[in-house]
Amino acid sequence: MTLARHQKRGLIGAALLSLILIAIGVLAAWFGSRYQLRLVYGAYVNLLVVLGLQVFMGNARVTNLSHSAFMGIGAYAAAICVTPAATKAISLPDAPWGLAAFTLDPLTSAIIAIVITAAIAALVGLFIVRMTAIGATIASLAVLVIIHSIFLFRTDIFKGNQAFFGIPQVFSLTSIVVLSVVVVLIARGFRESHWGIQLRASADDETGAAAMGVNVVRLRLVAWVLSGIILALAGIAYAYYLGTISARPFYFNHVFLTLAMLILGGMRTVTGAVLGTFLISFGLEVVRWLETGPVVAGVDLPEALGLSGVVLGLVIVLTMTLRPQGVMGDREIEDIILRR
Amino acid sequence: MDYAIQQMVNALSFGAEYALLALGLAIVFSVMGLVNFAHGDVIAVGGYTMVAFAAIVTANPWIVILGAIVAAALTSVLLERVAFRPVRYADPTTGLLTAFGVSIVLQNLFLLFVSPRPIAVTSLYFMDVPIEMFGVQVSSLQLLESVTTVLVIVGLTLFLNRSVWGLAMRAASLDFEMVRLMGIRANRVFALAFLISGLLAGLACIFIMARRGSVDPHLGFNPVLKAFVACVVGGFGSLPGAVLGGFLLGAVEVGMLVLLPQEYGGMKDAFVFGIIALILVWRPNGILSPAVEKGDKL
Amino acid sequence: MLDIRNLKVLYGPIEAVHGISLRVEEGQCVTLLGPNGAGKSSTISAICGVAKATGDITFLGQDLLGTEIEDRVRAGISVSPEGRRIFSNLSVEANLQLGAGIRTDRDGIEADIDHWFTTFPILGERRTQSAGTLSGGEQQMLAIARALMAKPKILLLDEPSLGLAPRIVGQIFDMIEQLKSEGMTILLVEQNARQALRISDYAYLLNTGTIQAEGTTATLGQNDELMAKLTGLG
Ligand SMILES: Nc1ncnc2c1ncn2[C@@H]1O[C@H](COP(=O)(O)OP(=O)(O)O)[C@@H](O)[C@H]1O
Ligand SMILES: [Mg+2]
Repeated sequence: MTLARHQKRGLIGAALLSLILIAIGVLAAWFGSRYQLRLVYGAYVNLLVVLGLQVFMGNARVTNLSHSAFMGIGAYAAAICVTPAATKAISLPDAPWGLAAFTLDPLTSAIIAIVITAAIAALVGLFIVRMTAIGATIASLAVLVIIHSIFLFRTDIFKGNQAFFGIPQVFSLTSIVVLSVVVVLIARGFRESHWGIQLRASADDETGAAAMGVNVVRLRLVAWVLSGIILALAGIAYAYYLGTISARPFYFNHVFLTLAMLILGGMRTVTGAVLGTFLISFGLEVVRWLETGPVVAGVDLPEALGLSGVVLGLVIVLTMTLRPQGVMGDREIEDIILRR
Repeated sequence: MDYAIQQMVNALSFGAEYALLALGLAIVFSVMGLVNFAHGDVIAVGGYTMVAFAAIVTANPWIVILGAIVAAALTSVLLERVAFRPVRYADPTTGLLTAFGVSIVLQNLFLLFVSPRPIAVTSLYFMDVPIEMFGVQVSSLQLLESVTTVLVIVGLTLFLNRSVWGLAMRAASLDFEMVRLMGIRANRVFALAFLISGLLAGLACIFIMARRGSVDPHLGFNPVLKAFVACVVGGFGSLPGAVLGGFLLGAVEVGMLVLLPQEYGGMKDAFVFGIIALILVWRPNGILSPAVEKGDKL
Repeated sequence: MLDIRNLKVLYGPIEAVHGISLRVEEGQCVTLLGPNGAGKSSTISAICGVAKATGDITFLGQDLLGTEIEDRVRAGISVSPEGRRIFSNLSVEANLQLGAGIRTDRDGIEADIDHWFTTFPILGERRTQSAGTLSGGEQQMLAIARALMAKPKILLLDEPSLGLAPRIVGQIFDMIEQLKSEGMTILLVEQNARQALRISDYAYLLNTGTIQAEGTTATLGQNDELMAKLTGLG
């Protein structure tokens, strides 16, 4: 297979991003404390989510607000499969359909989780991709609420807001760095693929693209399902590292957080997704520290619950008003480093 | 029989509330294409104003109510000024995300400066007393709500059809630039749209507070979600659509409460949204979606 | 009255008009001729403040560049734009009311609306119907009447005859001639050179964003070669 020029450049860009991702991982592993390692791992999980979001939002230019719920589906599906039956007998005594009676290995569980998430994403996507941009966004909000209320309601399967524990902790920082490199390749690959290019062109000029025979609805669906698969990966990586999950992290706060990341970096590019994720992940740690009311230069600051939320919201508002395309705009990393 | 009438009254009053909320969104959307996610937080500002008035100024419920409406209206106009003006002519997605950001900021400001916990407001309890009408027990609140919504619809219709500013707002939904070419100031049209939207939020705030009796930072979230859904179902940007969507949503919701077995109560929203999704399969742009037609640009 | 010097109109990086100059004196009817894409509408847009422009636009001694659209209308510039752009979701009467949006004399507005309804009985018959139901010619008349409701000092007309049947075109030009005889200052954009030159005092020929010829209609009329080219266009 021969690659077009922009695809070769895309490969270089993806390689550069991978190097950065690996470098951050290596630095964290060398210098980070246990607590910091957890934070860095969390940042990588969010990176996967933001990349998943970018695949749909960045190419179809439709805002999605249900992504955290799909991450949740992936996490729960994998957790239910992989958690030992003995543990489930205690934690999910009333589980229907024999869900508590079997144990699968982590790889099989992950594959099943991905298939389930992709299937649900495809089903939901059939509705979403047909709507206007605004309609789709609000429908995705409804999807988030629906899925969350199912997590909360079926405590016999998901345990709701209580901890679903006993998931084997098979992932390490290394695994997620490798995974994030793979996902960067996928996201970049899709962006530069024939489908990705057609989808982006259609988002810029819908009637024009339709006139050229581009099936926008189908392309959107492809992007939506691919996005769902990446979100499932994020959920699995989350569950396999923490060992304990609950419904709360797959709801609004996480939606806002990851959305702010993508917006700040710039939703049109994969580089933007990576940049935004790390900018906000590290920026927020500083804000969270301020939130606890630390003593700075001899001044005892008050506790300030909500400060991080205010900052996140402001990041979104200011980006939208000052630079709606985000920091990166239409530029990928290689556009900055290589000549055009 | 009584039960059926009772439920119909419920559906009507829920629908009235959703219609009120949805109109507040639709009026801004029709003029500037902005999906104002922060509408719910304007309602919360009204709620907190009630707390402040009741605690500091007076216990007189009418003054508390007036204060809430005025606060909501002013907040709405202020938001247009500081946050939405820069994205006025931007694409809908940029506007939506801005509104999203504004909403997050407001909710966290409540968290930061007031409290994450609910605060009780007792001054509105008097609005909710059981009364008997034609042999059916209804709540005075439900009645008040339905009557208010009807009055609002009549008032808005008159305003939009009779006054020059109302006409300008309707014209703006079709071709804003042409309205400006009539010498009608865009700033005023936008401010007016947000003022009306804020007034509607203030009215909705009263009924929501009367029913819940307390305010917390996320007070506006559920109402605005319902309003969104009503707008999407009715056809975003269409005012009649917003009303229709609101009442439809009320009917579906009460229908679900009646039909769903008790133990599925927690799943009500899931089912409601599911039915809404089916309506959208039938009409992806909503039932009364306004025709997209624009004259050629200059 | 309207004095334009070295006007450039910009759409992002694209320059559609490359530094043209033109004048309209009080009471004159000046025509801007030129083929499709010449930059006529861009010039009108720049005068209205809709398109981004550089250069000088002076109206009644006041510098317009950098002022808002609304303020230009209030200074006395009204436009019937290309494609008419009537408010098709509003009634015929509401369109006229909006045209008078900057006026406050209720009685005067009422009287003017009545005046238009007697001038164009078709509009009067349809006063409560939605303007979208009018025919193309009726919409054009409504668009001109709407522009005049603001009591402008100058009227900009962008291709009022576009897409209309010949008989209707004649009516539109009669209307413009009538306005001129009442003392209205008019800047007319047209491709229909013969009709436009008949009623105007001065004309500019615009092509690919530059002025290629200009003169009083009398001198232009003597230039046979140019006339052949122009009428061939229209
Ligand atoms: N909104 C716009 N964006 C970009 N280019 C434009 C725009 N409007 C007009 N143009 C370009 O400017 C040039 C002049 O157009 P226009 O003023 O409409 O010509 P005319 O009215 O004489 O037919 C054309 O080349 C056209 O493609
Ligand atoms: Mg033109």
